[in-house]
Amino acid sequence: MKKLFTILALIASIFAIIFSVLPISNLAIFPAVAALIFGITAFYLSKKTGQVKKIIQFSFLLTIAALAITTYKSVFTTTEVLNTDAIEATESKLEEASIEELEALDIEIDDSDLEGISFEE
Amino acid sequence: MIRISFLLLFLFSTTINAQNKAIGTDEKLIYTASYNMSGILTDLAEVTMETSTVNTSKATLLRLKCRAFTYSKWDNFFKIRDLYETYVNPKSLKPYLHNRDINEGGYFKNMKYTFNHKTNSVKTVQTKKNNWVEEKTVSIGNDTKDIISTLYSLRTFDLTNLSPGTSKVFSILFDRKEVKGKVTYLGKETISTTLGSKVCYKLSIGSANSNTVNGTLWLTADDNKIPVFIKFKIPVGNGELKIKSASGLKN
Repeated sequence: MKKLFTILALIASIFAIIFSVLPISNLAIFPAVAALIFGITAFYLSKKTGQVKKIIQFSFLLTIAALAITTYKSVFTTTEVLNTDAIEATESKLEEASIEELEALDIEIDDSDLEGISFEE
Repeated sequence: MIRISFLLLFLFSTTINAQNKAIGTDEKLIYTASYNMSGILTDLAEVTMETSTVNTSKATLLRLKCRAFTYSKWDNFFKIRDLYETYVNPKSLKPYLHNRDINEGGYFKNMKYTFNHKTNSVKTVQTKKNNWVEEKTVSIGNDTKDIISTLYSLRTFDLTNLSPGTSKVFSILFDRKEVKGKVTYLGKETISTTLGSKVCYKLSIGSANSNTVNGTLWLTADDNKIPVFIKFKIPVGNGELKIKSASGLKN
């Protein structure tokens, strides 16, 4: 039982540290909480038998590091969109081609269709 | 049963010939797309919905443009640069030309639909990587629209007198196939948004064939009927689109 909780705590803490360095850092909270629960259980079970293994402390250390990274990222990372030059170029190219294509189309808009529409030019 | 059918028909007869009184010509709506897992939100992308006018020698059209860009933190893992645009009749939102240019994690596809409403057909041109071009003409129904004009069309319907549970089936042309979508009015709900607390019309969106619900949409219960919150199902957790800002509104 003690061994099982120790292994589970270690696995969960490894997941927590992996998640925390990825863009999904917010989700690191789930394995981190699991790692803490498994770690505390393993710690108490080990204490009963008298010997606390270093691996439990190591899983605590990983979990705390994961939580620290997650907190830091959620406070200091700004969400912004970058590198849009290529798509903006595509956009203007598409617009030019579309207007050319629309010129060739037989578009009939009834007057009734345009009633009440005011265009801001 | 017949009585109910007539009632539903009557309710929707007031909305079928909907005209655009909600969408402005210089409107810009910005959304944050997030992944929600048990209340923990992870921001994924920014979605923009814009309108503008386009003048041709024959007519003035409305351009509906939707863009989805992943946030910079995602760009190294899975970069999305999607662009959807449709040139429509400003009043009836009947589509004339639709462009879809998607770049999702290295997968590229460009799709162009040219609608011919006289022959009820659409000329499609699909371009993939290395300029692999495929042309195809598909037949469509009278009311079939592309995904973008369908999304905007939802805003033109008068939902004030609808009773919860009323639904309408839409024909959408997506990936050169006509698919039937169903929108069901669920009632009014007040939700908190970045634009303040808003009374909204709650609509469920799903497939008409399998009767499954894929998402829920909240439109403000005012003349603009802007979508302020969209929730959709994904295998684990939920996807969400929350409004960040709205400008150039018509009313």
